[in-house]
Amino acid sequence: MRIWLVGAFSALAIAGAGFAGLHYWPIGKPVELEASQGDPQRGAYLARMSGCIACHTDIEGGGTPLAGGLKLPTDFGTFYSPNLTTDRENGIGAWTLEDFAKAVRQGVSPDGDPYYPSFPFPFYAKFSDQDVADLWAAFQTVPPVAEASKAHEMVPPFNVRSGLKVWRGAFLGTEAFRPDSNRSETWNRGKFIVEGPAHCGACHTPRNLLGARQAELYLHGADKLPDGGKSPPITASSLREGGWTVGSLSYALQTGVMPDGDVFGGSMGEVVRDGTAFLSEEDRKAIATYLLERDE
Amino acid sequence: MKLSVFFLSGALVVSGVAAAVAHGGATGIVKERMDAMGAMGKVMKSLSAMMRGETEYDAEAVRKGAEVLQSHSGEALTKQFPEGSIEGPSEAKPEIWSNWEEFSGISGQLKLFATALGEAADNGLSKPGARGGMMGQGGMMGQGGMMGQGGMMGQGSMMGNPSHMQNPELLAQMPVQGLFNMTAQTCSACHTKFRIEKK
Repeated sequence: MRIWLVGAFSALAIAGAGFAGLHYWPIGKPVELEASQGDPQRGAYLARMSGCIACHTDIEGGGTPLAGGLKLPTDFGTFYSPNLTTDRENGIGAWTLEDFAKAVRQGVSPDGDPYYPSFPFPFYAKFSDQDVADLWAAFQTVPPVAEASKAHEMVPPFNVRSGLKVWRGAFLGTEAFRPDSNRSETWNRGKFIVEGPAHCGACHTPRNLLGARQAELYLHGADKLPDGGKSPPITASSLREGGWTVGSLSYALQTGVMPDGDVFGGSMGEVVRDGTAFLSEEDRKAIATYLLERDE
Repeated sequence: MKLSVFFLSGALVVSGVAAAVAHGGATGIVKERMDAMGAMGKVMKSLSAMMRGETEYDAEAVRKGAEVLQSHSGEALTKQFPEGSIEGPSEAKPEIWSNWEEFSGISGQLKLFATALGEAADNGLSKPGARGGMMGQGGMMGQGGMMGQGGMMGQGSMMGNPSHMQNPELLAQMPVQGLFNMTAQTCSACHTKFRIEKK
């Protein structure tokens, strides 16, 4: 299977390279932001919701907050989260707000390179201009840490970054958030959180052989997560079958306690511990409301 | 005739095995600790319904439940994990033994919180006006918590408990909701690190 994968990716890469000179193929759209003044409090809350700290901090290894270095082993190689502190050399201290917006919502670095989708930027595309400005303001409060980011250790041919441009063309959708005017404000808030910052689908939607999420199986659960585990389906029907209610689901997102009395472990334990436990009661209810009352 | 007896007994053996597997098939110490975890799960199930307001608050039930949690935590828990005991349906990760200090630390933490939970039973679910109690939303995160000195990290909340969280007398003065959440978070901390997720 890996051979098949490698073959497909190489074929794509070579075909693409042959055609367009993949390396020079420009990606990303120009950034024009309607908001430039951010609220750092609001941004810090969004960062918590988005898992920035959880993924960009090597807690086990005693790393400094947001200095990166957390290891994420996958079928495509081992990723290391980069340094996001305000250090000018090693972090994002030399970036502009526009650089940041492009990185977060489009997955394109200030140098024009594509990021691997291990960085869940397709979800962050749901951020509004104000959200991005708020996040940026929050990141400005992070003390600089002069630690170089570790290079990813990718399995060939996935080490060829420009191959990602083909991947982007084939799989990437980065639409802005669209609320449903027939639904309640709570439901729409939940939709934003689930589809955007909380990036539930990153683990709960199965991926194809090239690591792209399968839209038709949205939130149907997946196996072979980076930690080797499985994620259960969290579609409305499967949650209701499992006995979940808005009350018990939002409570589980706060405490980890499931309706049967068992308590989350694995990566969901981390999601609650580092993320959803810190959200407001209203936001946890919104997540639960959207998940349980979603059309399928 | 003989042949059918042979088949019949074969079928019996097979169904016996199937039943054992359905019941987890655990034996010895693995079964003992799975039963202990199950007993704690039962308590968490009934008390969490109370915490969510689905059932009426019952201080006596909190005391009794806390007693069960306490009886299965601390050394009682760690004793059920002799080195390398991962046979059968065990969900224990070998990291338990390479990281024993942390494992037994969490187990001790559980005992501390469970004991305080029982003693706090008469404090009620939450203090009047203090929605969610100390560990509720406002507490750790609220205004400025995350953005304080430590930048975007809440003050050390991810790195372990501050010392006042270790003081049994102070803990026993907390509202039950907060203590119950801390207890649950302790369960989750251990499952996250040391349990294989089979479901």
